[in-house]
This record gives sequence, structure tokens and C-alpha cells, in this order.
Amino acid sequence: MPRIIEQDTEKLIEEVLEIYPEKTRKERRKHLISNDPECTTSTCQLKSNVKSRPGVMTSRGCAYAGSKGVVWGPIKDMVHISHGPVGCGQYSWWSRRNYYNGITGINAFGTMHITSDFQENDIVFGGDKKLEQLCREIKEMFPLAKGISIQCECPVGLIGDDIESVARKMTKELGIPVIPVRCEGFRGISQSLGHHIANDSIRDWVLGKVKGILDKETPYDVLILGDYNIGGEAWASRKILEEMGLRVIAQIPGDCTLNELTNMPRPKLILVHCYRSTNYIARYLEENYGIPWMEYNFFGPTKIYESMRKIAKRFDEKIMEQTEKVIEKYKPIMDEVIEKYRPRLEGKKVMLYVGGLRPRHIVGAYEDLGMTVIATGYEFGHRDDYERTYPEMPKNSLIYDDPSHYELEVFAEKLKPDLVGSGIKEKYVYHKMGVPFRQMHSWDYSGPYHGFDGFPVFARDMDMAVNNPSWKLIRRKAK
Amino acid sequence: MKIMDHVELYKSEDYKELFENKKQFECPYSEEEVKKIEEYTKTEEYKEKNFARKALTINPAKACQPLGALLCALGFKDTLPFVQGSQGCVAYFRSHLSRHFKEPVPAVSTSMTEDAAVFGGLSNMIEGLENAYALYKPKMFAISTTCMTEVIGDDLNAFIKKAKQQGVIPKGIPTPYANTPSFTGSHINGYDVMLRGILNYMTTGLKASQTERINIIPGFDTYSGNYREIKRLLRLMDVPYILLADISDSLDAPNYGDYEMYSGGTPLGDVVDSINSTATVALQKYSTIKTGELIKEVWRQPFVNVPYPVGIKNTDLFLDVISQLSGKPIPDEIIEERGRVVDAMIDSYAYIHGKRFALIGDPDLLLGLISFILELGGIPVHIVCTNGDEDFEKEAYALLKTEPLFGSEGKVYIKKDMWHLRSLLFTEPVDLLIGNSYCKALWKDTGIPLIRVGFPIFDRHHMHRYPIIGYAGALNLLTLMVNTVLDELDRQTKDSPSFDVIR
Amino acid sequence: MRQIAIYGKGGIGKSTTTQNTVAALAEAGYRCMIVGCDPKADATRLILHKKSQATVMDLARERGAVEDLELEEVLLDGFKGVKCVESGGPEPGVGCAGRGVITAINFLEENGAYAPDLDFVFYDVLGDVVCGGFAMPIREGKAKEIYIVTSGEMMAIYAANNISRGILKYAQSGGVRLGGLICNSRKVDREYELVSEFAEKLGTQLLHFIPRDNMVQKAELNRMTVVEYAPEHPQADEYRALAKKMAENKNLYIPTPLTMDELEELLAKYGFLD
Repeated sequence: MPRIIEQDTEKLIEEVLEIYPEKTRKERRKHLISNDPECTTSTCQLKSNVKSRPGVMTSRGCAYAGSKGVVWGPIKDMVHISHGPVGCGQYSWWSRRNYYNGITGINAFGTMHITSDFQENDIVFGGDKKLEQLCREIKEMFPLAKGISIQCECPVGLIGDDIESVARKMTKELGIPVIPVRCEGFRGISQSLGHHIANDSIRDWVLGKVKGILDKETPYDVLILGDYNIGGEAWASRKILEEMGLRVIAQIPGDCTLNELTNMPRPKLILVHCYRSTNYIARYLEENYGIPWMEYNFFGPTKIYESMRKIAKRFDEKIMEQTEKVIEKYKPIMDEVIEKYRPRLEGKKVMLYVGGLRPRHIVGAYEDLGMTVIATGYEFGHRDDYERTYPEMPKNSLIYDDPSHYELEVFAEKLKPDLVGSGIKEKYVYHKMGVPFRQMHSWDYSGPYHGFDGFPVFARDMDMAVNNPSWKLIRRKAK
Repeated sequence: MKIMDHVELYKSEDYKELFENKKQFECPYSEEEVKKIEEYTKTEEYKEKNFARKALTINPAKACQPLGALLCALGFKDTLPFVQGSQGCVAYFRSHLSRHFKEPVPAVSTSMTEDAAVFGGLSNMIEGLENAYALYKPKMFAISTTCMTEVIGDDLNAFIKKAKQQGVIPKGIPTPYANTPSFTGSHINGYDVMLRGILNYMTTGLKASQTERINIIPGFDTYSGNYREIKRLLRLMDVPYILLADISDSLDAPNYGDYEMYSGGTPLGDVVDSINSTATVALQKYSTIKTGELIKEVWRQPFVNVPYPVGIKNTDLFLDVISQLSGKPIPDEIIEERGRVVDAMIDSYAYIHGKRFALIGDPDLLLGLISFILELGGIPVHIVCTNGDEDFEKEAYALLKTEPLFGSEGKVYIKKDMWHLRSLLFTEPVDLLIGNSYCKALWKDTGIPLIRVGFPIFDRHHMHRYPIIGYAGALNLLTLMVNTVLDELDRQTKDSPSFDVIR
Repeated sequence: MRQIAIYGKGGIGKSTTTQNTVAALAEAGYRCMIVGCDPKADATRLILHKKSQATVMDLARERGAVEDLELEEVLLDGFKGVKCVESGGPEPGVGCAGRGVITAINFLEENGAYAPDLDFVFYDVLGDVVCGGFAMPIREGKAKEIYIVTSGEMMAIYAANNISRGILKYAQSGGVRLGGLICNSRKVDREYELVSEFAEKLGTQLLHFIPRDNMVQKAELNRMTVVEYAPEHPQADEYRALAKKMAENKNLYIPTPLTMDELEELLAKYGFLD
């Protein structure tokens, strides 16, 4: 792969900023850089995890989205209450894909919208009584629910409801854990604080509080942390780990049960997929239970092999040998995929803008297909995410943090990518511009995208986007 | 090389084994227990408990006010929807509308966070307007709120004035606003107050001599095809009109290889002039209440509410009203069209007659659908309206009474949700279900075929590009309904001699 | 229709002053309405001769939604036809009382409580402008004229200054003005001088100085205003005088709130900080 690309990124950044009012321009300048992969000092780093400027059209969401939509929502055998007015729960209903097995409405509740549907009276007089009653009704409607979480929306915190005491009272009364999560949308500056709050609520209300069952412990017990199972790839990853001879005692949070959450302090090693949204609890487990954790990346064969070997090294000879056998088994299939798709995608330029992990994690998968990622960035990454990103990206590539809709549009116009990977809010802008696009939050309802089973699907889909003949039908309007 | 994706992959032996093996860590209930509860949820006993719920809402068919305000704002030319409040809300509205329309949805928020919650959102408003104006150069800001703003009680009008005083946006740029608390009403009310806000702002004191134009307000309508259909019918009738909040281009724009942020929409000049039109005709009632009050009481303009023109009778009524107001006859072309659609209905009624329907959706849409189903001899059985009020309930019953043969069985459930409907579908089954994409969960649980009508429709493409109103819309709905029945019939008969090729 | 908002520190005698003034105005033939904007709901009991009236929010809670109320249920006629309504709201410590005020006033507007034949609408607002909800009465199209009830006590002066800062904000963006201070005497030393000087520094006037008199409490125990209970009593004339001044007042000010230092200096001068 070209580890250095010819583009005048500095100039481009200056150009895009011209239009901003001065205060915002100064602020935004700090969030855009031309990449230096060897960057170690603060001069070549960008600023991140600060407030979006009002009115710029950010893609960012809120803490509720980070907690209910990301961390808690996929826990399948619990009921998650969208506590507050009807909208938040409506828009996050069944929209983020978190595949799970179970019968929805009976023993699994992932694709449901459960809400307290706050009315004016609940705002004025407080919603605690309604919340109590609601918990009782959940128990009656869904007798197999293993627990309840209360996902707070903006008004709850503003009116000062005491959901913690409701949670304690209802835990006792109903005999299942009721967990308060203070993820009101106005807290923090993006989804990110919601992840953190959700992690903390697992720490404070599940670990050591909820009794779980694990028949035994083995030296090969691991835990998948931070895979959301968007198109089922937590399963695809599990499959690899099991073939390597490891035992996955919990898969969090995609297709996860409350019992698996209670298994968190039990593995020998924690495997962290989405670092951004789960590092908090990983660190806690390390500090308090002495369990080591490591990050891994199962996007594209190069990174898969690398990660598998890194994981195997943490165990014994037996596992390392078995790992090589697994790699041997899948390598021909991966090579075949590359052989088929690389010629169609070689040299194509990719521009990415995703959430907190994929802007760096999928770079390798594109490179396996001969594509170059010329620009990338995060909606809600922090400094440590960017530090992990610089070395993954070519020199002179563009890196942006929380770019506005305007910036993205101009970057795409100037950089002329062959493919853009971003989210639903961006997708149709690029369709109108005639730029091939794939949603890299939801895999555009395809997948899985990582693991050995995911890479062929990823390759197929990228090829589909770039090479579909319909793009050629676009005819410019005579002006 | 065969590539298996999620559709096939998880049915393979490898994964079946993996899922089975995973259960040891899940601590699941036994299969018998799960089955037992599953069956229990289908019973009369469960239904009673379900209907006794007071605090819990499960799978409601409504969104919140600000979403409606956004949809309305997108219907005006060069207008930027501007939301004073949390940014997460706007991210949600944009995603939600994009998933339905398959179109970009531009809108900004003022990214209010904890400090704004304590100190109020004035500085967010000022900086937000300044940035948004610099970047997106709208000719109008349509300003609405989120529940955060409403709880802390930000004074929009004062804030906007202040922003203009400080010169961050030109004094002359229209900045209509609406308070859209998400804890009252639903998306249809948000649409209503935003439209009222815009019309009020743009027409204050501007009454001049009356024009021949007729204002048409579609209401909260997510079918771009409906807007085009209205325009087509009025063109055929040669009636000059102003379509207020016309989203047909902004949310269904042609692809010319360029992204135009402000595509289509009602020209602002027309909005200013709408006060001088002969009359205003609203095609929905429950999403135009406040707007209607403005037009009647402040503009002193005739305001006519026709039923949402779904089906033949409602379309007849709509065209008659237009004809009366404009003095223009209904042209032959439309009369022929009507004839063809009625002919089609007569050709197909046999597959609809006596079929029992369950419906869920917005109040005006439901009234339209009930009317059409009755025209075809279908039987509306369960009519569920999460955002319906007592007026709607009365109106729906009155409508059912007009066709006692088919309407007498119908029961109307206001302020109920899809989980209530689930119980009804088990205890009193029907043949067909009409609702939005979320109803596919009901289809999955009950096996009752789902006809996707309403909002949102995420899992079928382009349905919103076809009208469901007017005679053309009646034909589309008929086709959809009858072919759903026929698909189902093929499925039912595929192992029997009655698997016919001609139906 | 003149719409007037009365603000002041809690317990200062705001509601008593408002009701007595309104009673005097009604006696003089003006048509008045009082809108109580305090969850305690004690802004109308002297006019209605009741402990407390059914409030908008309490009824809304009972019925389920504010849409289920009729105006007649919450808008009652009292002494000399004065219209009375209370927003009501939650118990202390729960919910959002400010939002209750917004809800109630929206309800009154939508249901035609603001009859065109009214001469005065008075808003009796809780202690301080603590959040947006309590500023509702002074927003666009509503009360443009504010009076602050104070006394010569230190905390009352602090509160009045604080309220002026809130008014200043609205004065700049909207047309809200301060009509003056009303001193409800607590018989503090040199009270008149202090409040007069404070008013001057605030850039406004001391509209009226109400002397302290036990008759006020006596009337109150009988759930009446002094104007009604003891119309011949000199205290009733004080309220009549205040009412007259208010009805005739044309002097409206943009307040110039004092800085903390200035305020302390003033209080020191009158021996508060010794």
C-alpha cells in the first residue's frame, strides 16, 4: 500500500475553513490535520472530544444514544426503558442492528421500543411514581425478562427525578435487577459519555451485585468485549476464537445476556473490540480483578492473522499451534476473495467517517483489497483513538474530528474518493453526488464484515458499491 | 466462489452448533418455559392485563413533535430547519427521515449541553445562527425546540431577536419559530405548529387583494408521490394553487450528480402571498388544527378541511371542493381516470370483500383507509391510533356507521400501541394488517400479512414515491392490497390443487 | 389590557399585596384577573375566600392531560368579579414547577382566558426568576410591566436586585420594563430611606411604601383582603393609594442592577454589615 500519498492536505484544510466565522474557524482548525504516521508530539495531533459548535450540522448524537443505543440496548434478555418522552426510543427502535437469538417479546427484547412516554404532567410533577408502576407492568407483561434498565432521556435529569431510589425499591420488589442509567442526552458532548456512563452502571449495578452462573473456569476462558454484532460478526469472531481452542464465556454486548455480564470478572483474558465504548470497564476489571485485556482487529485477513497470533501468544503452545492450523485453513479462502476482488478495486480511494472504532479498524481490510484510505475520522473519538489511528494511515492523508456536513461535502468534492464509508445521514448526500457509498455503521443492512466469514461479504459489498453500473447513468443537468 | 452473508450464514451447521454451545453461558429459561409464556401472551387473560397497563408503553406508533416540525420546515424553499436543543435529537430526526425517504435530510441543532441546561441556551442560539448562516446560507430559518429547551423554558422569540440585534444574521431573514415539546402530542402536532409559525411569521400584516389561488395543505404526509399527485390534479383542473410545505423535491430530488442542499420546496414568495388566496384546503384534520385556527381567525380566509383523499369518495369530495372554490369543472381526463380506477376496484373486490382488517397509524390516514376499505367491502376490525384523541374516536365510529354492513364490527382504540394490537390479533384474528414497517414484528408473531402504509417505511423501497391519495393513489393501494392477498393465497395453496394460475 | 407581573422574595407578602391592590382596583371599577404562578397556589385565596382553589396543573394531573380541562373549572370569579386562576404545580423537590407555569399559561391563552374586556392581568410569581418557566409571564405578548415587592431587610433587597438582573435581560430583548418597587414594611430602621435609595440606584422608583399593620393579618385570617374586610380602615386606603399609583403609573424603567460591591456598600451604609 502507498504509505505516503500525494495530496496537499494542508491547503485543503485551509480552504475548507475559509467560510467559517472566525471563532468557529479557529476552533475547527484544531480538529483537522494532514497525517504524520510517526506522530508522537502534540503538534501533529488533532483536538478531539470537545463540544461541537452550534449550528454546524454535526453528525454526533447524545449520551442516551451511546448508552441505550450502543452499550445497554443489545443486552437481549433485559428490558430497556426509554425513560422520558416518546421520540428518543422511537428513533433508536430497531435501527442499530444488534443481532441476537431469542423470541422477541418473550425471552428477548432487543428490537422493541419500551417507553414511559412522558406527558406534560410527568414533567411538572415528576416521573418517579410512573416509573415504579411501569417496572411492575414490565414484570407482568414480560415475565421472562431477566432485568430492567432505565435509560434516561433529557427531561429526567432536568426535573431531578430520583430514579436510583426507584431502581433500588423495584429491584427488591420485583426480584430482578433494575438498573438506573443517567444517560440524559444533554450530558457530555456526544455518544461517548453515554458509553462511559453505561460502563459505570454495569460496574456499579451488575458486578458483584447480580449473581450469575458459570459452571467452571478453564485456562482458556476469554471474553469478547465491545462487539455489537451488527451483522452477526461477534459470532464470526467467536467462531475463530473457539476454533483456536479458546472458550468464550461472554460476548458483550452483542447477543449478550445478563448472565454473561456477570461473567465479566471470570475470564483469563479480555478481548476488546470497540475500545472507545468499553475501555472503561476493561480497565476496571484489570485494576480490580487483575484480568488483562488486549485490543484485537478482525477486519480483513492481514489484521485477522496478526490479531489471532497476538491473542494466541497470551496462551500456551497448544493454542499457538492450533491458531496456525486455523490460519492455514482459512488462508486459501481469503486469498481467493482477494484474487477475485482486488483487481476490481485496486488503487481506489476511500474516504471514511465513522464513530469510535472503525475509522482505524477497517483501514487494513481496504488495503487487503488494494484500496487506499485517503481520509478518515471519528464522530466521537478521543485522543487515544487518534493516537492509534495515525500509524494506520498513510502520510499526508486527511484526518478529521467531528467534521460538519459542510466540511465532509467539500472534502469529498476536492479529494474525489471512489468510495465513501460513513452513516445514514451522509449516505444520500454522496448518492446525489454520484459517489459510491457504503454505510459503515450498519454495513448497509448486510454483513457480517469482520472475521473470516465477514471478509468475503465485505469485499463483495465494496465491489458492488464501486462497480455498480447505475452510477454511470447519472446525467448532469444542463445549467 | 459462493459468498454467504447473514441471510444464510447463521442457518449453517457451524453456527447452529455455535449458538447451541453459547447457551451454557446465557443461563436461559428452558424451552418449555419459553413456549409456555409465548402461548400465554396469546390468551384472553394476557390481553386483559395488557389493556390494563397504565404507565408502560410498548411499541407505540407515534414520534415526537420536533420530527413533524422538521418535516414541515423541509417543505419550504431555501429553508434550514434549525433546532434549539440537544444535538442527539437532530441526529435522530435526520436518520429517521433519511431511512424512510432514502434522501439526505439537512438540519442543524444548537448542540445544547449541561451548561446550557443550567444557564439557558441563548449563546447556543446566537452562535448556532451565525455558524449555520455562514455555512449553509439559508433564506429562512425554521426554528423548533426539543424537550430539553422546553423544560428549561428558553424564550425563543427573545433569543432570536437578540441574535439579530447582535448582527450574526441579517435582520431581514425570516426566522419563524415553534415550540415543539416532545412530551405533548406527537409528530402531527409538531408539523402543525411549525406550519402555523411559518405562515404567521411570513404573512403578518401583509394582506392585499385576493388572488385566484387556492392554498393546499397536505398535512403530515410522508409520501412524496402524494404531493406530486396533488399538483398533477390541480394542473389538470387548471387551478392555480400554493402547496404549503411541499416536500416532493426536497425529499425526493432528482439525481444530477450534484448535491443541492435546498432542492425544491414552496417558494417563500408564495408563502407570503398565501394570505391572499381564495381559500385554504387542508387534506388532513388532526395535523392542521392550529394552522386552521390561524387561517380562519387571523387571516379571515375560508379554511376547508376535507378528509384525507384516500379512496374514491374522499377524492370525489376533494375535487368537488376544489371545483366549487375555483369555479373550474373537473376535466374529462380526471373523470376517465376515476372510471378506470373504479373499474379496477370492481375487477378486484372479490379478493377484498369480507376480508377483516387491522389498522394502525396516524388519525387522518386511518380515516382515509377505513373509508377506502369500506368502499371495497372490507371489514375494518381493529383500528389502533396511538396519537388519536376522543374527537378522532368519535369521527372514526361515525365513519364506520356509514356502512353498517361492513363497519359495524370495527372497534377504535385510541392511545394504544402495537403491543395492544398484538393481543387483539391473537384473540380476534384478522386477514390483513395495515401499518408501518415496525408492524413486521406483528406479522412475524401472528403470520397476518402486512400491507405497508404509513410512516415510517424503512424495509421496502420507494413506496413513498407512489401516491396513495387521489384516484391514482386508490389504484396503487388497491394493487398493493389485492396482490398481498393473492401472494398469500399462493402461499396457502401451494401444496393443494387450488394453486391456480388465473386469479 | 395591562399585564403586570409581581415578583419578590418568598414570604415578603407578595400575594397579600397583589390581592389587596387588585381588590382596590376592582373596587374602583377595573376588571382584573390574577394568575397565580407559584406551586403553593396562594395567590387568590383572599379574593375567593377559600383556602385554595383548584389549580390548572392539579386538575390536569387528576384528569391525565391539560387538554381535558375546561376553562370554567379553573377560572373562578371572586370579590367584585375579579377572575382568579392558579397554575399550581408539584410538591417541593419533585418535577418542574417552571414547566407547570408554562403549561398553565399556554392553557389560559388557548382557551380564551384573556378576555378583551379585562383592564388588568396580574401575575403573582414565585420568589425569584429561577428558571425559564418563571420568566414565562414576562415573555413576548404578556406582562411588560413588573413591580418588585421588597422590604428593608437585607435578603429582600438582595432578591430584588437579583430579579432586576433577570428583568434587564428581558428588557434588552423584549419590551419588559420595571415599574417600580413596592415596599411592604417590616419596620426595619430607616426602611423608607434605604428602599428609596436602593430604588434610585436601581434606576427606578419606590412606587409605594405600605406600612405594617395587624389589620392585614386579621383580614387574612378571615380569608379576605383588607379592602373587603375593613374597607374603612386606614390600611385599606394604603392599598387604594397603591392601586391608584399603579393605574396611573407611566414611568417604566430599564433597571440598572447593582454589583455585589455596590449592594454591600449600600447595606453597610444602613448598618446591615456591622
